[in-house]
Amino acid sequence: MNTVWALANVVVLEMVRRKDFYVLFILTVLLTGTAGSVNLFNDRSIVRYLKEICLLLIWVSGLVIAITCTARQIPAEREHRTIFPLLAKPVTRAQFLLGKFLGCWLATGLALALFYLFFGLVSASREHSWPVANYLQAGWLHWMMLGIVIAFTLLGSIVFAAPSSNGTICFVCSAGMLLLGRHLNKVALSLAEPLQSLLYGLYFVLPHLELFDVRDLIIHNWELIPWGVVALATLYAAAYAAFFLFAAWLIFRRRALN
Amino acid sequence: MPPALPIALALAIALAAGGRLLLWQQAGVQDTGSVFALLLGESRRAFADQVFLKADAYFHQGYYPSVFDLALPDGKTHMAKETEGHDHDDHSHTPSEREYRDWLERFGSHFYPAEHRHMEKFGDAREILPWLRLSAELDPHRVDTYTVAAYWLRERLNKVNDAEAFLRDGLRANPGSYEILFELGRLYAENNRDVPRARAVLELAIEKWLRQEAGKPNPDELAYGHILAQLAALEERTGNLPQAINHFTRLKRVSPAPDTVQKRIEELQTKLSRP
Amino acid sequence: METTLSIENLRVEYRSRDLGESTKVAVRALNLRVGQGEVFGFLGPNGAGKTSTMNVLLGFVPPTSGTARIFGVDVREPIARQRIGYLPEQTYYYKFLTAEELLRFYAGIFQIPKAETEQRIDAVLKLVELDHARKRQIKTYSKGMQQRAGLAQALINNPDLLILDEPTSGLDPIGRMKVREIIQRLKSEGKTVFFSSHELGEVETVCDRVAILHQGELKTEGRVSDLLREHSANLEQIFLNLIGFTSQP
Ligand SMILES: Nc1ncnc2c1ncn2[C@@H]1O[C@H](COP(=O)(O)OP(=O)(O)O)[C@@H](O)[C@H]1O
Ligand SMILES: [Mg+2]
Repeated sequence: MNTVWALANVVVLEMVRRKDFYVLFILTVLLTGTAGSVNLFNDRSIVRYLKEICLLLIWVSGLVIAITCTARQIPAEREHRTIFPLLAKPVTRAQFLLGKFLGCWLATGLALALFYLFFGLVSASREHSWPVANYLQAGWLHWMMLGIVIAFTLLGSIVFAAPSSNGTICFVCSAGMLLLGRHLNKVALSLAEPLQSLLYGLYFVLPHLELFDVRDLIIHNWELIPWGVVALATLYAAAYAAFFLFAAWLIFRRRALN
Repeated sequence: MPPALPIALALAIALAAGGRLLLWQQAGVQDTGSVFALLLGESRRAFADQVFLKADAYFHQGYYPSVFDLALPDGKTHMAKETEGHDHDDHSHTPSEREYRDWLERFGSHFYPAEHRHMEKFGDAREILPWLRLSAELDPHRVDTYTVAAYWLRERLNKVNDAEAFLRDGLRANPGSYEILFELGRLYAENNRDVPRARAVLELAIEKWLRQEAGKPNPDELAYGHILAQLAALEERTGNLPQAINHFTRLKRVSPAPDTVQKRIEELQTKLSRP
Repeated sequence: METTLSIENLRVEYRSRDLGESTKVAVRALNLRVGQGEVFGFLGPNGAGKTSTMNVLLGFVPPTSGTARIFGVDVREPIARQRIGYLPEQTYYYKFLTAEELLRFYAGIFQIPKAETEQRIDAVLKLVELDHARKRQIKTYSKGMQQRAGLAQALINNPDLLILDEPTSGLDPIGRMKVREIIQRLKSEGKTVFFSSHELGEVETVCDRVAILHQGELKTEGRVSDLLREHSANLEQIFLNLIGFTSQP
């Protein structure tokens, strides 16, 4: 476990010292600020559209950070050849993958914490309330979802050689699932039979990232989700992340490095 | 990968997908061939429609059945109908009645507004305004945007001046719109109590309606009736009974309930005959 | 003498991904034995198969056939790598870390206790003369400094066996001399050093024994002094003869 932590620590340090994460954060702040400065019928207490825009930016940034950070890990290790001195030490391939996963996930979590803090400030500035538990749920579920995305991207970075194509593929898959996942069953029901069962099967098999998207509940101040449901969703995310990591390990463990 | 690239990609995907779903809804599923042509040619309008739907979703506290859940046959939103004073009985999607297709759908219903709710506090109505403003920016020719926004502004938020200004914006972009003129007339009549202006605007609305709709095979008689009723009530209030009777008589021809209108006419006639 | 590293009948093939291209044999029927405390020069021209052999020793590439053992443990077991230090060719270390952080990271992987880690970092940075730059990010280092940072990471766990892949390539004469000095120092501490090179002048002075590899095959192997006596020529001439290159008279 120490080995995994050591590996994760380097990934987090990398994110903290690279610039692209700050760029996204500043962009989010600027765009939210711009949206907030628009005069809407002389009413300064309108807030939900601002929450919506801010959360959309956070979701896009979260995906970008998680995917770009993860997609470059293994290709960079190989390109700079650091994977050689590393794996020449008593590190198993499983530890290597786990360390990379944990690092990307923690780094993304740090970024999310900052983003959600900003979101809290934005909404409190107009609503004058701090529904901390609701924000914690939203941030937590968001982070869990990115865990699935990170594991999937890590798998992709072993399967596809070029980090940019892997990043694009992962981005399109994640965005597609977020937008359509909830409706796949209804689409399936509208199809003719062999396709219907196929799509309905896929609907059960694919990871439903959109479950973790509770933005609308936050924007419109709905009640808390039952904590038991949040726990189940966490288990759901953990199962998919574990599955993708396992698949990555199966491919990577016998892969020749040269 | 530079970070700007995925962001642009994400926004493009999100907007394109949103627009596409919407068009799918409007085009009807049998008509998917024209969807893409529409998307390319008039994407701006499609986005405006999307934004308008967003306002409707806001009215329902984020609850909005997707195109996959139900196809609204008249393409009109629930919120727009709300402003026309429909009753609330058709809300069939309360959770107790709702049937889930599978366990995933049931589980998933915890994570988004899955229950039909309206804005609880009147003040919350202000939250839909940004989307209506954006809708107007994207498609200034979408008349609903102005009338719906004006309704909320003056009825719920007590912002008559802002409502008037927005309607005037709408009128500049759509000089012939009897719907906007009607809303404006209503505003002058009900909120400002400015009878001469209200009369002038409503009469202009009638004129526009006659010019645009009267010749059509299926004229928008509902709107015509609304304008006439408003105008008749205005004349009645100011004691101009013959003119009121005149308007009611025209209303009777298009009204779904001509008997009720006839009764009103008779009431006015007796009032008139009594010195 | 105890055997630290043994290679038996090793064969390494690279299967080409493109259809129709034949498999490339990088190493064939290689047998080697390196005793404890020896400095062993693994020589050969570019493409001879030196790196391929080392890749097997470190578990990066599975041998096509044959076996390799380090301290008697099959190289496929990760535990075999606990007492090894490895310096790969041309590596660009995590450039956003400082030398100190890099070494601390690697020490963590070896599970070296904290107090000992700091001592080791001080010692190896002094040895490779990077003490002055220890708090600078590696992206600010010159090539020679990067190579020395590489040596430092290879030494962080105080290994009993060092595997160095062309440790002097790309360095200027002073840099090369320094690396040679470090190897000699390690030898005096009783470490076993297995290093590859294609530059022969430097090998004569530091190696106990050498092996010469050409096109994946072992051409000769023995003590430097024995070889020199046997062929009555210097190492460079022996090398050129063995690889079939006859110099003009
Ligand atoms: N990944 C690879 N795929 C195919 N051939 C390779 C690969 N790596 C090395 N080779 C070939 O194997 C031979 C030995 O290479 P290498 O061990 O790197 O030589 P050296 O380190 O002695 O210069 C060379 O002919 C080289 O082209
Ligand atoms: Mg080599």
